[in-house]
Amino acid sequence: MRSDERDVDVPPLTEGIAPGTATDPAVGSDGPATVTVDGTAVSLESGATLLDAVEAVETDEHVAALCHYGREGIGPRSECRTCMVATDEHGVVPACSFPAEDGLTVRTGATDAAEARDVNLDLVLSDHNLRCTTCGKNGRCELQDAAIEAGVEEPRYGVFDDRDEYEPLDDTSPFIAIDRNKCILCNRCVEACNDVQVEGVLRMEGSGSDTRIGFQSDAETMADSTCVSCGHCATVCPTGALVEDGIVDATTIPLPGFTQANSVGETSERAGERSGPMTPKKRAEPTSGGDGKAGDAAGNASEDGSDADGAPDVNGTPGAGVWDDGGDWP
Amino acid sequence: MTLTSTAGDPVVRVSGTAQGAELRGSDADATVLAVGSTGVPAVEPLLSVTRRGRTGFHARCPPERAKTIVSTVAEAGDVTTADPDAVVEHDPDATRLPVPELPGFGVGNRSVLAACGWRRPTNPADHEAAGGFGNPDPAAVLDAGTRLRGRGWGDRCQDAFLAETWGTVRDGDGDAAVVVNGHGNPADALLLAGAPFEVLDGATALARAVDAERLVVYASAADERAVETAREAATTYPDPPAPIDVVAGPPEYRAAEPTMALEAIEGNHRLEARLRPPGPEEVGLHGRPTLVHTSRTLAQLAIALRDGREPETRVVTVTGDVAAPATVELRESDSLADAVDAVEVEGTVKAACVGGRFGGLTRDLDVGVDPEALSAANLGTDGTVHVLAEDSCVVEFVGRRARFAAEGNCGRCVPCREGTTQLTALLRAVYDGEYDADGIEELGRVMATSSLCSFGVRAGRPARTALAAFESEFAAHADGRCPAGQCVEPAEVT
Ligand code: SF4
Ligand code: SF4
Ligand code: SF4
Ligand code: FES
Repeated sequence: MRSDERDVDVPPLTEGIAPGTATDPAVGSDGPATVTVDGTAVSLESGATLLDAVEAVETDEHVAALCHYGREGIGPRSECRTCMVATDEHGVVPACSFPAEDGLTVRTGATDAAEARDVNLDLVLSDHNLRCTTCGKNGRCELQDAAIEAGVEEPRYGVFDDRDEYEPLDDTSPFIAIDRNKCILCNRCVEACNDVQVEGVLRMEGSGSDTRIGFQSDAETMADSTCVSCGHCATVCPTGALVEDGIVDATTIPLPGFTQANSVGETSERAGERSGPMTPKKRAEPTSGGDGKAGDAAGNASEDGSDADGAPDVNGTPGAGVWDDGGDWP
Repeated sequence: MTLTSTAGDPVVRVSGTAQGAELRGSDADATVLAVGSTGVPAVEPLLSVTRRGRTGFHARCPPERAKTIVSTVAEAGDVTTADPDAVVEHDPDATRLPVPELPGFGVGNRSVLAACGWRRPTNPADHEAAGGFGNPDPAAVLDAGTRLRGRGWGDRCQDAFLAETWGTVRDGDGDAAVVVNGHGNPADALLLAGAPFEVLDGATALARAVDAERLVVYASAADERAVETAREAATTYPDPPAPIDVVAGPPEYRAAEPTMALEAIEGNHRLEARLRPPGPEEVGLHGRPTLVHTSRTLAQLAIALRDGREPETRVVTVTGDVAAPATVELRESDSLADAVDAVEVEGTVKAACVGGRFGGLTRDLDVGVDPEALSAANLGTDGTVHVLAEDSCVVEFVGRRARFAAEGNCGRCVPCREGTTQLTALLRAVYDGEYDADGIEELGRVMATSSLCSFGVRAGRPARTALAAFESEFAAHADGRCPAGQCVEPAEVT
């Protein structure tokens, strides 16, 4: 940080970040609790969810909890609903986000809960490009694990397998490849990028079946985004949707000429070698003398005073507040 | 003093059209009042002329005729001389619509809707004359909450008694907020546009009872009338216990869902439901304990507090294959058939989709409009009845509703996002001769038990209930026939 920035009253770095997700309340119990899971009493600390209880014992039936991450403050997003369990008190609830209230009685084997887990896992698979043999995450994919554990042989709604409808692979970044046809929309990457790395690159966008992972800068491709290639998003991704470029085919079954990229329809490739620094720099925020855009978007007019013309900050130090890729940095 | 009691001169009210407002400033020889819609657009513009406790109603009357009608009445001294469609005798100082014998007004008992079509929506004097702007004792308010249930899917307490949630908010950490949800249901928008003070009376009484520091009125940007009127009413409301903000949200159906309403009010650019528990009553608007109630719920509260008893009425909007939709107010003992009687059905009634976009389908209209009776019949309690006439195809209807759900969901959770897509596919497959009743049933069940918000919980209801009530029609479609002759591309089954 430059000296002239120090005294400026900057907003929290997250202020200008727009992940496109709802502002969820904190989940978890208000205090220590004891719950009964399939007949076994489990004592839990304050802030626990039913999934903590379920994971602490040998349950009657396997609870997949596919979208759950549970580290680094990421999640629960509670979107896949493959973790449904029955409670005597509240009926069928998602274990990953339901607070472990004292005295709850949980049954994993209840018919309605088992049915919900089963159908929801099949629903996840219905929108998934299940070409595991050409996927870099083969063998270390949480969706694969969940499907194997649940004994899925033929998902009742089939799998997403129509080449015309595939979203093109985004292989434009030298570091991370995106295959949205494998994304389960667990939101981990978005939270890793925004809340952990505080980079503000990824977001959830669209609605209905058009819901997808996109970029806060409205960029179309990873290469055009403001990504700093830290790789955290790929680290937390449970499927082959985000993979570090070096290992996109690390675990694919070697069939000559058959790769992840050509197993689907189109691929957006990198446009030649990138000159200049490895990691594209973000443009510093324009000051009040600039177009005022960044200040508006951040709801804040803080400025560092050094870029009076709002030009890109050639030192590569991101200004505080919102990112503005502007589309014109090198 | 209100204008109704002006001794000799006739008072004219124009309901259901913006033109009334223009007439007010014109040189008509009488007082012309622009009032809100009556809820029965079929008779609107409805012009009424009142003189000495007698009102003549002129249905579908161009407001320009006001002048002629007024001079006729003024000359003869009698409202009947202008050849009205209906005449009602009433208290000369009447503050509620004297219900005329016109189509759409024959049923029920207007109390929540009493101001609609009679009082000027944003005129404090009219509302005060009707006993409004009371300052009820918070204890009485909390007590009323033990007997009043939330109305509409935009209400956080739909069908539940309100007191418990109010208690949570009152005892919660932080300054409470009250949100009036006027989004998503025609009756809620009607009340904001036609009787906003009734709604605000309920909201302010509640705000005082739970010590709320913020009051927000939320409506769809598409309901311009409701938004504008609520804005004006908010500025003229005397002495509100908290500043009243009016926020227009995106017009999408899902935007009425209580947590999406909060997201929209907070300004999130993408509309997505929030995880719960904890619900908004613990962590709501900007983290405050928040009550989200529909216009209907709050207006019912205001009336209950004013009358000192529960208004046991239900506001129901009838739409679909009808000449014009109508919003009526029924006693809880009335039936769906009574509601349908208020409108002119185009043909004979074959079925009705009861309770919102994702209501239940039924052939039987002999079901009470109270929440128990509706739930027992697998129908919804949102306060809408969509009539399907004999030549409508039920399979097509539920297919469209499923597709609407697939396109209109927020995309957050799998049972809804992927479930509605698969449901649409399963319904489409019926046309290809693949009729998987069990599959539809199972999917609908799982969507209902595991979706994150009530959008997904209900999205499968039209299909599931139709399957039960119209089994043979599904089978016929699987055989390549549409009994109603409506499906444009009947299946070609080999
Ligand atoms: S690699 Fe890029 S997109 Fe992924 S977390 Fe890091 S900055 Fe965000
Ligand atoms: S890309 Fe991976 S981490 Fe991100 S939402 Fe999709 S599946 Fe989850
Ligand atoms: S049920 Fe539907 S609308 Fe509600 S959160 Fe889930 S996807 Fe969104
Ligand atoms: S793990 Fe609970 S909803 Fe995905």
